[in-house]
Amino acid sequence: MSAFNLEQEKVLESWTQRYPASIMGLVEALRQVQQWHRCVTDEDEEYLAGLFAVPRSRIHEVATFFQSFTRKPTGRHRIGICRGLSCSLAGSKEMCSCLEKKLGIKEGETTADGRFSLETMECLGACDQAPALLINDELKGAATEELVAKLVEELK
Amino acid sequence: MSRPDPLLTKHFDETRLHELETFRRLGGYEGLKKALAMGREALMAEMNKSNLRGLGGAGFGAAMKWSTVIPEAKNPGPRYVVVNCDESEPGCFKDRVLVTRSPHALIEGLLIAAYAIDAQRAFIFIRGEYELQHRILQKALDEARAAGLVGEHILGSGFSCAIDLMRGAGAYISGLDTALLETMEGKKAWPRQPPPFPTAAGLMGRPTVVNNVETLSMVPHIVLRGGEWFAKLGTAKSGGTVLFSVSGHVEKPGVYEFPMGTPLREILAAAGGVKGGKRLKAVIPGGVSTPVLTADELDIPMDFEAPRAKGTFLGAGGVIVLDETADMVMVAHNIERFLAHESCGQCTPCRQGSFWHERILERGLSGGGTAQDLATLERAGENITGKVICALGDTVGVVTRALMKKFPEDFKAKFPERRG
Repeated sequence: MSAFNLEQEKVLESWTQRYPASIMGLVEALRQVQQWHRCVTDEDEEYLAGLFAVPRSRIHEVATFFQSFTRKPTGRHRIGICRGLSCSLAGSKEMCSCLEKKLGIKEGETTADGRFSLETMECLGACDQAPALLINDELKGAATEELVAKLVEELK
Repeated sequence: MSRPDPLLTKHFDETRLHELETFRRLGGYEGLKKALAMGREALMAEMNKSNLRGLGGAGFGAAMKWSTVIPEAKNPGPRYVVVNCDESEPGCFKDRVLVTRSPHALIEGLLIAAYAIDAQRAFIFIRGEYELQHRILQKALDEARAAGLVGEHILGSGFSCAIDLMRGAGAYISGLDTALLETMEGKKAWPRQPPPFPTAAGLMGRPTVVNNVETLSMVPHIVLRGGEWFAKLGTAKSGGTVLFSVSGHVEKPGVYEFPMGTPLREILAAAGGVKGGKRLKAVIPGGVSTPVLTADELDIPMDFEAPRAKGTFLGAGGVIVLDETADMVMVAHNIERFLAHESCGQCTPCRQGSFWHERILERGLSGGGTAQDLATLERAGENITGKVICALGDTVGVVTRALMKKFPEDFKAKFPERRG
């Protein structure tokens, strides 16, 4: 049994056709898997190995190299705190402590209800809006304790 | 002498600049039109005169790079242009701003580059975290395709070029050209050791030009007003203008465009000076990979040549301002931790060395450092720089030693002589 439904299989297949060589679609396909499953599992890797016609170790190598892909599921809302130099100077460490307290988890963990996960990220390219957060795909610059409290409240 | 008009940021007060209609109204795609009309030889002549340097950090001559692509006749088959929009150097955000505000400028420059090297296919590789920019580019490409500016027979000419987007997945090292190509080929982002260089064998073994977003955005200006004009805006060897991303302890963080060779002092002034009127302590001039400067060293002209006299370089123009509250051991730790995290692991001196730099600096910050550690860092740095495949490894050894040299008091305080 596949890790994906028919619709999802079609989407993954399309990534093998998008670029001059089939394997060039791998990173995008993994991004898609991460979005659906909130992680990349052994089963996912097996499937992709078959789809891209490469040994599973090739998939595993890419799935474990890049920070976007996780082995354990992230929360529905994946919160990343930038720890680049400019954001550090603007108080990212304090922002992290604030979020840890609010969510009741430590950096690197996911809440028991699967709602939030918290991690640090490297420079997000938002140094002009330090300190910055990335929540799933959305950048939130000039983060404050108030903004963070509001987000935690609103995001289900 | 009055400052010349900016090139890339000139129309940034136009809120709809990212839309094709507005871009064209302001002269957009006239450069492409002219390039197609003038022909490849004339185009390369202007590029050669321009002194346009790679603005992603390496400063390699753009025309030089393009001219090393082996022509179709000698190497039949596809050749590619890849835009490096993997901007991940801490302190740099100018590509993010360029793509957000003016995606069509990039597309136009990209098409001209593709025409120059006879590439029928081009890619824009965007760091995975720039999802908004990804959407903006998707929209801009849709507009361009609908208007016959991208795809078959561009503007009714014999030149065809398709442009595709591809996203990264959160690795700083993907921003290095050969590692970017590895990522595009569906592999872990391990830098290659040239030769061959990408223009000989790049994406899937084919001749490939990899250029930064800002570099390509400059190209239409060179075509429209000539390479000589562009060169004259800058210094003897660095032509044109350049974007500085200014952040840190500064009043007005943001992107500022200046001619090549502008003194760092002037850039800092344009950004409003040190925030809250505090005393300036240090400035990192080109992104965290560039050696730090003291408050006394601000008269350096910022181009690819002059900063070397003070032991640093322009890099990607990421200016990070540090006031009197900044501790340079903390700064060193922040940067080495970043490098250790982002090290691809391929070369032992970088993989091990970055880890130990972080560990030792952490020890200093938590009260366990001794003067012996400074000697260790010095020796370790020497054994890493120049002994690795890529610049990330080089940086591990360079950054801390520069901070130690310029701010010895900060390091003495955290790494005291042991007593007893």
